[in-house]
Amino acid sequence: MKLDGNETGDSMRKFVMAIPLIAGILILVFMLDLMLGSVNIPPDALLSILTGGTVKETWMNIFWDWRVPKAMTAVFAGGALALSGLLMQTFFRNPLADPYILGISSGASLGVAFVMMSAGICGAGAIFASIGLLGDMSISVAAILGAFAVLLLILLISSKIQSNITILILGIMVSYISGALVTILLQFTDETSMHMYSLWTFGSFSGVTWSQLPIMAVLLLAGFILSFCLVKPLNALLLGEQYAESMGMNYNRIRITIITTTALMAGVVTAFCGPIGFLGIAIPHFCRAFFVTADHRVLVPGCILVGGIIALITDIISRVPGTDIVLPLNAITALFGAPVVIWVILRGTKFGRGVTT
Amino acid sequence: MSNTSILTCTNLTIGYRNQKAVIKEVSKDLNLHLKRGELVCLIGPNGSGKSTLIRTLTGIQPPLHGEVWLCNKKIEEHSSEEKARTLSVVLTSQVQAGYLTAFDIVALGRFPYTNWAGRLTESDKQIVKSALASVGAGDLTPRFIHEMSDGERQKVMIARALAQEPELMVLDEPTAFLDLPHKIETMRILRMVAQNAGKSILLSTHDLNLAIRCADQLWIINRSGTMISGTPEDLVLSGIFGSAFEIDGVHFDTTRGEFTIPVEKRGTFSISAPESVERIWTMYALERIGFCPSGSPDISVTVEISGKKPLWRVRLNDEEKECWSIREMVEHISTGYRKGGDRN
Repeated sequence: MKLDGNETGDSMRKFVMAIPLIAGILILVFMLDLMLGSVNIPPDALLSILTGGTVKETWMNIFWDWRVPKAMTAVFAGGALALSGLLMQTFFRNPLADPYILGISSGASLGVAFVMMSAGICGAGAIFASIGLLGDMSISVAAILGAFAVLLLILLISSKIQSNITILILGIMVSYISGALVTILLQFTDETSMHMYSLWTFGSFSGVTWSQLPIMAVLLLAGFILSFCLVKPLNALLLGEQYAESMGMNYNRIRITIITTTALMAGVVTAFCGPIGFLGIAIPHFCRAFFVTADHRVLVPGCILVGGIIALITDIISRVPGTDIVLPLNAITALFGAPVVIWVILRGTKFGRGVTT
Repeated sequence: MSNTSILTCTNLTIGYRNQKAVIKEVSKDLNLHLKRGELVCLIGPNGSGKSTLIRTLTGIQPPLHGEVWLCNKKIEEHSSEEKARTLSVVLTSQVQAGYLTAFDIVALGRFPYTNWAGRLTESDKQIVKSALASVGAGDLTPRFIHEMSDGERQKVMIARALAQEPELMVLDEPTAFLDLPHKIETMRILRMVAQNAGKSILLSTHDLNLAIRCADQLWIINRSGTMISGTPEDLVLSGIFGSAFEIDGVHFDTTRGEFTIPVEKRGTFSISAPESVERIWTMYALERIGFCPSGSPDISVTVEISGKKPLWRVRLNDEEKECWSIREMVEHISTGYRKGGDRN
């Protein structure tokens, strides 16, 4: 055999060699995210903050109260969105699947809309307008409850129905129903609540406070760990459900784990950052094309790292460094992300390669 | 050990049921044996229940009645991992996975043996490589599955089933979608796997000609759901094979071992030629245009192959014509013979 060593087609090795590079980029953009914003903190000031030195009081406040939690939220949320998109694309064997396909974020949106608008209708909108901790948390809790309700519904349905294309359609239907209910709520609400709701749908990494960050981080880390435990069955699922079962995989158990893990990550991200689109559908494709493999042993860590990097970059852009302007995050993810993804997936050896799951 | 039965079923009834009652009995009282190293072809017309039988024998669908034994243990008593180490499958549906190399795909066959993360040990890698080599796909190792032809992909899927190191491999129509040379190559590979690696192989197919040439045993299901099993040659000689598949106008030629294409009879011929390929293909050509051999022929053909190029002398309507190719001969007969008919 002329094939040996790196020529075996074993994609793991190539990835392991690329890890230091990707981790380096992640650290770099993390630092940039800490420095850039409406007030730019120069590199030497950043260095002295990190080494315990003293800098201007306002810089210290901006750094610790705003930038650090925001950057950490972006890393976790970006990784979680990419990962849950990957799980859904593999599970449904559909390149168009995203973290929200099960209707999880629609459930969360409904919960949020309900809390915001019922408060508006009852004349208690002031609680949220002040954005106190209580108000903030009540939005997250409402979102988590909404996401959880949809998850229960999906799990109940999937215990009765084998076909996962049926689950896909049901998820989409749940999204439509939630969307319809949100629209009806909007119809009967005052302008302030409506504006607040639409701001929430723009998505943002900066709403997470120090007190919320650990809750979010622990929940998302649990999602990461569960995803790592799923790499082997996810790889088997690439051949389809029947092959996977013929190799000894317990399909029902894996299916419930995949759905729950996705719902956990997508639900938590939606609860703390709003319904951030695009990253979840695009980053898995980006990673497949970038690492040139569909092996989940590469893609799961790859999506976490690349998801974090891209979330940080979009956050930097949406802050428009040096100005007071803040653009909607959801607009930036798509506006700047889509061309990059188009370039990456068409860059292959021939145009015919395109996107595959 | 060579006579060990890998798969046995006794008084098996296959079919479908819902929670309350049996809906459809597809086939009943099946008693089948598959020995180690044996290649069995399951054949039967569409809708005869081949897929139902395969689903039942691989434990995907419970039997309505009777038992399936896989390696001296009832199939439903195997744990899913134990079953995966005994039985591997190649399905009809095409694998649509992008960005997976042949190596990755075959490595998935190690699923029942690897740890929770699916990490391949050196011996796993060796098994993957030798599985690819033994189906003649060693050079495909680093190539992506979505960039392969159907024939190459089928080889990789067979290698994957082989890397699962089963006792029995079950393949659902592995030769569908392939052109004839690749059908033959696939069957040759499976023959080799059965002989060299000592695996038992059960495959369903519609390629009857290939099945009689390759199989150690044929399992034939006819339209009524009756199952006949036996050595292909025995089934041909007893006429069972032909009668199971013949439909109006299509007959099984026991001499040639294939189904003949029916043509309208136009006349008779006699041929005089030395035993040679030219003689055989001249006869095929004459049969194709509707002539059959006879002692009192309408036309007579003499083939001379002593010269540089073969020469066909055709005697038709008491006139003789020299033809330098079969095409010329066929054209001459087609036009000339019709005129002869008109004259009467």
